[in-house]
Amino acid sequence: MTQAIPARVRASAPAERFAAIVGEPFATPAGSADRVDGIAPRIVVRPASVDEVRAVIRTCGDLGLALVPTGLGRHLDVGAPPERCDVLLRLDRLGGILDHQPADMTATVAAGCSIAVLREALARHGQWLAVDPPCPEATTVGGMIAANLSGPLRASQGAVRDLLLGIEIVAADGALVRGGGRVVKNVAGYDLPKLHVGALGSLGVVVSATFKLRPRPPLERAIAVDCEDLDQAALVALAVRDALDPLWLAIEVPAESEGHPAPAASSAAARAIVGVAGIAAEVEDAVMRVERVAGVRGLASHPIAGATAVREDLASFPLRPAAAVLRASTLPGSVAACSRALVDAAASEGTRVAILADVATGVLRALVPAPRAVAPLVRRLRPALVAGGGYLVVERASPVVKQLLVGDADAWGDVGGGLELMRGVKTAFDPARLLSPGRMPGGI
Amino acid sequence: MSTSGLAQRLRAVVGDDAVVDRREALLVYECDGYTLERAAPDLVVLPRTPEEVAAVVRLLAADGIPFVPRGAGTGLAGGTLPVAAPVMVCTSRLTEIESVDVRNRRVVAQAGVVNLKVTRAVEGEGLLYAPDPSSQAACTIGGNAAENSGGPHTLKYGVTVNHVLGVELVLPSGDVVALGGAVEDRPGYDLVGVVVGSEGTLGIATRLVLRLTRAPEGHRTLLAVFDSVDDASEAVSGIIAAGIVPAALEMMDRLILQAVEAAFRAGLPVDAGAVLIVEVDGPAAGLDEHARSVADVCLRHRAREIRRARDEAERALLWKCRKRAFGAVGRLAPNYCTQDGVVPRTRVPDIVRAIAAIGERHALRIGNVFHAGDGNIHPIILFDERDAGEVRRVLAAGEEILEACVALGGSLTGEHGIGVEKIRQMPLLFSPDDLGWMVRLRSVFDPEHRANPHKVLPDAKVCVEARAPRRQAAM
Repeated sequence: MTQAIPARVRASAPAERFAAIVGEPFATPAGSADRVDGIAPRIVVRPASVDEVRAVIRTCGDLGLALVPTGLGRHLDVGAPPERCDVLLRLDRLGGILDHQPADMTATVAAGCSIAVLREALARHGQWLAVDPPCPEATTVGGMIAANLSGPLRASQGAVRDLLLGIEIVAADGALVRGGGRVVKNVAGYDLPKLHVGALGSLGVVVSATFKLRPRPPLERAIAVDCEDLDQAALVALAVRDALDPLWLAIEVPAESEGHPAPAASSAAARAIVGVAGIAAEVEDAVMRVERVAGVRGLASHPIAGATAVREDLASFPLRPAAAVLRASTLPGSVAACSRALVDAAASEGTRVAILADVATGVLRALVPAPRAVAPLVRRLRPALVAGGGYLVVERASPVVKQLLVGDADAWGDVGGGLELMRGVKTAFDPARLLSPGRMPGGI
Repeated sequence: MSTSGLAQRLRAVVGDDAVVDRREALLVYECDGYTLERAAPDLVVLPRTPEEVAAVVRLLAADGIPFVPRGAGTGLAGGTLPVAAPVMVCTSRLTEIESVDVRNRRVVAQAGVVNLKVTRAVEGEGLLYAPDPSSQAACTIGGNAAENSGGPHTLKYGVTVNHVLGVELVLPSGDVVALGGAVEDRPGYDLVGVVVGSEGTLGIATRLVLRLTRAPEGHRTLLAVFDSVDDASEAVSGIIAAGIVPAALEMMDRLILQAVEAAFRAGLPVDAGAVLIVEVDGPAAGLDEHARSVADVCLRHRAREIRRARDEAERALLWKCRKRAFGAVGRLAPNYCTQDGVVPRTRVPDIVRAIAAIGERHALRIGNVFHAGDGNIHPIILFDERDAGEVRRVLAAGEEILEACVALGGSLTGEHGIGVEKIRQMPLLFSPDDLGWMVRLRSVFDPEHRANPHKVLPDAKVCVEARAPRRQAAM
């Protein structure tokens, strides 16, 4: 069906050609909700099989139409605005867990399967995919890979790249290309899967992926240490990192403003929050060590009920209401200074930011409430961070804000030496610039 | 592509003692740990700094000369065998650990730093560098990155790519590019992720930023003794299925046990069918309970005895036996060839049976010592290279073992790489489209395919011709 498109169809309008592939109900004119960073596609196409994805992409190639892949549309605000978007390729019908071998601790999952569905299936076997992207119900496996989403678990379990064993993508010419494999250790050929992590679909459309799973720890606990300021919170977090193996480790700085008093739980100026996991003896010991780290500094620590829910809540931090989410990366030891710079810069722009920092990885996020403050903040903060070897990106922003992110305040900033190679990779993989054009750094 | 006069020009860049072109001296470089095929390069260059590497590569680029990068030459798949590449560029003199940042858990190491030296440099701070290949006392960080090396403890801690944050790469053009870095989440494509494991075909890594790991608070190391390989393999599946993630889960069969015992006198049970070395590590509070769970699973799978390393010395002895098993096998036959395949971990019993059958069919002795917890097998085939017929059977058996791995849903290599050894079998694993996309990627870094040519990616035209004479030479 996908190979031989009748001449009658070939000559017809794009909508009809896509309808001939996926069926009329699944090739529909785009509405305002389908905009990508404010740019309206002409049509939304929802293929139900890998063959249909291939046919759709070949058709896009024939007609010179640019496409942006998406799952459930929840993370389309990540990245720079596409330079063109004719087709929104929704992969939500490409669902299902294709293969789960509990005893091998691997799972192969279709791109459109939601993280929540996957999680539930794995939990029945006492396992998990140890990545906790925001909003698992509305996040697909493909979206998690394309946008390189993760949550607090990254501190100890690694990011998507560390758990992705294999991938199947549909390339710009419609070819089905496989990289990696289904076994937990494999160095045959180039590690193509890693290239697609965080690539926002610009090198190919992910249709399935194989992951390394882990046994889910029997117990999980969360402990908070209320601190006087964020410098102290960062010191406490680093001391915790050195005293035990936390499951995750964050510092949180609430944006306290007159209009929105902070809730009682976060009345401290900043707090360090620690997740620990393991068997009972390990968890008890870890909690005691966190208490000791706090105690020697004269700080109170207290357990927070519902550790998993606490972690999920922190995971969803980037989706809290804001005009933009800034993501700064620095070294673990510089998290406090970086957070301080963010808070101060926000103050001089007349706004307040909420910050959540992963002290283990040195990656922090700030929610900026005021749309007009975003670009000035980026201009103010980026040079110093970059000079120190770090990065500042606008991870998410509303379409209005993105329009203002131009020049030295663009969403990504300067990526440095690798840019030429990255452009080369894009040109080699997608010479006609059909796949998410413009969404990656440097206009890639 | 002539190398006449090249030695002279290279000497001008790196000094007289850093260019080897005497025939006898070149013999050292005619193979790495994979000895079935040999070919000496015309010239070997031994630069001392990353800057010298770049200068050398620029010089080669100007003349369009292909080159082979080499670290310590401990690779096991012939990745450093020159195939239509007259010049070998060794990074073994780039031995400086440039910085150690304990607070941020980062090390910047030059490519020629020996793996174990990184851990030695930071162990006083309670940190370690997690990837621990068996050759870690000799192999280099640059070579590890090229091969994406593993090791026994990668079961829990991951392989090299999980611990390399940045790579300074000398491109085949001689341009130097810094990919990734000490700070995570650099925007753009994960080029570090593809350079690691590219077997020197995308350029030469000269400096690497490594992530350090908090050293475990303690270990419990068990030796579980089984009457048969089958029972031991099933215990491996049982341990994984029970939700235990040991730090390491290694198997040695009877042939290996006998060789290792003869070499190290560790008191290993030489009459056993197989043993498992199982190590659990982590927070002190849970160690005994995890060790008990492991022992229970082994006993349920008919372990006839469980021994526990009582102190660090006993633990070290066990690991010495495991990590130096390849060398110990040298006592059993004039030559041996180590294979590296992967199967889903539940298929370990199947592949071990298949290996035994293949050995029988080709009248070869094959020992097994491998990372059972990862399904990463290392059959060691014993032979005598003076027996041409036997060498042919070794090659055939090796290929059949890898075919069996792929048939069971596995891979051609878990940690040694494709090199020259497995290049013809890549099509078993990857379609022409899959391989075509890899070629595209390669061409971005190396449009003329001058960096370690004819490795990793099968190239029908050149490879067959280039390989045939050496095969004969080896026989």
